[in-house]
Amino acid sequence: MKKTRILSLVIALVMLLGVASACAESLNLAQLPLTTEEGATISILAINSYYSNVDLKDATLLKEIADRAGVTIEWTLIDPSSYADSVSPMLASGKDLPDIIMMPDKDLNMDYLSSGLVEPLDEHLDIMPNYSAFLEKNPIIKGSLTAVDGHIYYVPQTVVTNNYQPVLMYNTLWLEKLGIEAPTTLDAFVDYLRKIKETDLNGNGEADEIPMSIQSAFLPYMFAPAFGLDLVSGYYADDNGVVHYAPYEKEAYKAYLTFLNGLYNEGLLEQEFASLNRDQIVARCANDQTGVTFDYSWQMSTLYSAQYDSYKADSSKGVIVGAAPLSGENAGFYVGRNPISNIFGINAKSANKELAIKFLDYAMSEEAQDLYVWGMEGLTYEVDAEGARHFLPRCTEDTIWYQGLGINAPNMPSQQSVPATDVLLAAWHVQNDRDFEEPYIRAPFPEVYSTEEEAEISGMYQVDIQTYVDENAIAFITGTKNLEADFDAYIATLENMQIGEMLKVRQAQYDRFAAATK
Amino acid sequence: MRKDKLVGPKAPRRSLGQLVSRDWQLMLIFLPVFLYYIVFSYLPMVGILMAFEDFKMGSGFAGLFTSKWVGLKWFNQFFSSVFAWRLIRNTFLLSFFSLLFGFPIPIIFAIAITQLRSQKFAKVAQVITYLPYFISTVVVVGMMTNFLSPSNGIINQMIVKLGGKPINFMSDPSWFRKLYVISGSWQSFGFNSIIFVAAIMGIDPSLYEAMEVDGASRWHRIVHLILPSISETIILLLIMTLGNLLNVGFEKVYLMYSPAVYETGDVIATYVYRQGIENHKYGYASAVGLFYSAVGFAFVISSNRLARKVTGSSLW
Repeated sequence: MKKTRILSLVIALVMLLGVASACAESLNLAQLPLTTEEGATISILAINSYYSNVDLKDATLLKEIADRAGVTIEWTLIDPSSYADSVSPMLASGKDLPDIIMMPDKDLNMDYLSSGLVEPLDEHLDIMPNYSAFLEKNPIIKGSLTAVDGHIYYVPQTVVTNNYQPVLMYNTLWLEKLGIEAPTTLDAFVDYLRKIKETDLNGNGEADEIPMSIQSAFLPYMFAPAFGLDLVSGYYADDNGVVHYAPYEKEAYKAYLTFLNGLYNEGLLEQEFASLNRDQIVARCANDQTGVTFDYSWQMSTLYSAQYDSYKADSSKGVIVGAAPLSGENAGFYVGRNPISNIFGINAKSANKELAIKFLDYAMSEEAQDLYVWGMEGLTYEVDAEGARHFLPRCTEDTIWYQGLGINAPNMPSQQSVPATDVLLAAWHVQNDRDFEEPYIRAPFPEVYSTEEEAEISGMYQVDIQTYVDENAIAFITGTKNLEADFDAYIATLENMQIGEMLKVRQAQYDRFAAATK
Repeated sequence: MRKDKLVGPKAPRRSLGQLVSRDWQLMLIFLPVFLYYIVFSYLPMVGILMAFEDFKMGSGFAGLFTSKWVGLKWFNQFFSSVFAWRLIRNTFLLSFFSLLFGFPIPIIFAIAITQLRSQKFAKVAQVITYLPYFISTVVVVGMMTNFLSPSNGIINQMIVKLGGKPINFMSDPSWFRKLYVISGSWQSFGFNSIIFVAAIMGIDPSLYEAMEVDGASRWHRIVHLILPSISETIILLLIMTLGNLLNVGFEKVYLMYSPAVYETGDVIATYVYRQGIENHKYGYASAVGLFYSAVGFAFVISSNRLARKVTGSSLW
C-alpha cells in the first residue's frame, strides 16, 4: 500500500501547488479576444446543472467567459442523469456533432478517440498556452490523459481527490445522549446500532429510530476497507503491486458479505437498503430518526446537519458529523478519487476547429477558473480592506440563483481545488475533513487507457462480470443465496467468466501506470 | 396462399399505369402507411450488418459498409456467455406466463359481465376495469413500488397487521414474474374483454330463448352456446397473440427490475439495451437482438401455419 500512499501524496501536493499559484494571481496566457470575427459562434454539448431546477443556458458567468473570448456559445445541455444514454448514440452516428463535446465517459477503452471522432490536441498545443501550462504543472494528470498512441485528446475537468470524499457520519446528538464516543471498529459500531434500536433517542415515544441510513452504493466505501478490500475500485493493487479483484477475494469478500448479511438479518441494515435514496435520508434527518449515514462529505453541513432545528449556518459544530473510518481485522481507510471527473474533446470534423480549440484553452485558464470558483466582484463576492475575498450572503441564501450563475460550472473544464472548496463550507466542516478524512484516504485504482487488445478483452468480459457481481452481492446480503452453500459456486462462475483474463489486463495496466509515474 | 381461396373468373391483365389511373385515390391513402414501413421498418434493417461487424463509434451510416467483418464472433460470444440461457429462459417464461394468465381472464370476465342481470352494474364494472389500460407504464410501476414497499407500503402493512413478516416484493427474484403478470393482467383485462363482449352480444337472441324453452341452466348456456359461438374469435386472437409471444414489454421490465431481480427479470431486450446503449457494444447488441428477432419471426410463421390448419383462416 505504501506505493499508493506516496502516490496520493504526490497527487495532493501537485494539486495544491497548482492551486497556490492560482490564488497568487489570476492569469490567462492567451490573447483576448480569441477572434476578431463578428458573430463567431462555438457549439458545445455538455451536461446541465446537477440541480434539476437550474438551467445553465444563460448562466451569467459562462456568458462572461464567452464575452471575454469574443464568441457566442450555442449550448446543447442535457440532464446529467441521462447524459450518457442520450449522447453515446449521437457519437455513434458521428453526424452533426458540435464543436466541443463533453464525453459521456472517460473513454478508457478508446472507443471515441480510436474512431477519429476527436482531434488530437497535443498537435495544437502552440495555440493552447493555458492548457500547456496546466499539463506542465500536473504531470500525473498529463500521464493519465496520454493515450496509448502517445497523443493527448482531451481537456479534463478535475475534482479534489483526497478531501471531501464519501465519509462516515454520525448523529452527534444521539452519540451524546448515549454517552459514547463515535465507534471506530466494526464491533463497537454494531453495538451502537443495537443501542439505537433499543432506545427512544428522539424522545417521541415511538420505536421509529432507524439505526443507519445508507444508500447501497456507499456500503462498499463503508465496510469493505475493514476487511482489507477496496471494493469501490473493484480492482485494486496490494502493497506488492499485485492486482486483485475485490469481489473475487475468496475469504475477505465472503467475510464482508457475511457481516452485511448479519446486519440485514438483525434488521440493522434495513430491508429496502437497495433502493434507499438521499431524499429519504434527508427526510429522516428532518424527523430526527436516524443515527448513522455515509455520503459525500459535502452533504454533511450543507444538507444533513441543516435539517436539524438546533443547527444554524454559523454554528461552531455540526449535528451530522464525519468520523474516522471503521476498522476490523484490517485498519480502515477511505477510498479517494481519481482527479479526472470528465473530459472534453474537440470534434475532428468541426469547421470551426481552431476557434473551438482556442476557446477550450481559454476555458482552462486560471482566469476562467477564478470565475468558476469565485464568480464576479460585486455579484458574488466583495473584497475587504486587506484584499481578502468574501462571498456575499445571497450565495448561501439563494442556491438556485447562485448555481444558475454557473458557479463551479459542471459543463466547463473547471478544476476543483481544496482551498476553493474550503471557502464554501463551515469552519467546523473544514476541520473535520482535515482531522477525520484526509489522513485516512487511500488512492483508488488508477484510470489508464486500454490498448486495443485490452479493450477487446474487458469489453468482452467486464460488463457481464460486473452484472453478475452486483446481483450476487444483493442476493448474498439479503439471504436469497446462502453464503455457505452458494459462495463456492459464485467464485467458480467468476472463473468461468474469465476473471483471470481480466486480472491480467488490469495488472498490465497497473504496471504501465506505476512505471509512468515512478 | 390460403388453401380455401376462392377461384373466381380471371381478372383481365392491367398495366401498372392503368391500375394507378384507376385506383390512385386508394393508393394515395395507402402511401403514408407504405412510407412508414419503408422508413421505419425496412430501411433500418441495413443495421443488421452490424451484427457481423466490428462497428466503430462515430463511423455512422457509412461505417456499416466499411467496418471490419467478424462473421459470427458476436453470436459465439453471446452463446458462450453465462447469461445466454438465463436471458432466453426469462424472456420466454415472462411471455408465456403473461399469455397463460393474461389470455383467459378477459374471456371469463366478458362472459360474466354479459350474464349479469343488472345492466347498469355491468356498464360500471366494464368502465372501471377498462380504465387502468390508459395508465402509463411508469405510473403503474410507481404505484407498485409504493404499494409494495416493505416499510410503508399498504400491502406489507396489512401483512404485518395479520402477523406476517414484510416481503420485499420488488427486490425478490421469486416475485418478479408474478408481479409482472398480475399487474399486466390487471391493466389490460378490461380492455381486452371488449372484443369478447362484442362477440357474445352478436349471438342471435333467439338461440337463448330456445335454450330457455328447453330448460337449460345458466351453466349449460355458457358451455353449449356462448363458448362455441365465440370459439372462432378466441382462436384467432390466441394465434395473433402467439405471434407476439416474445414481445415482452421492454419499458415495463426496465422500470421494474434492478440487479437484485436480474435472476428472473433480465430479458433479452433489456440486456441488448445495456450492452448497446450503455456500453456501446453495438455489434454485440445487434447480434443478440437479431437472434431475438429471428426467434420471434419463427413464432409468427409457425403460429400462422397453425392458424391455417386449425381454423382455415390465417393472416396471409
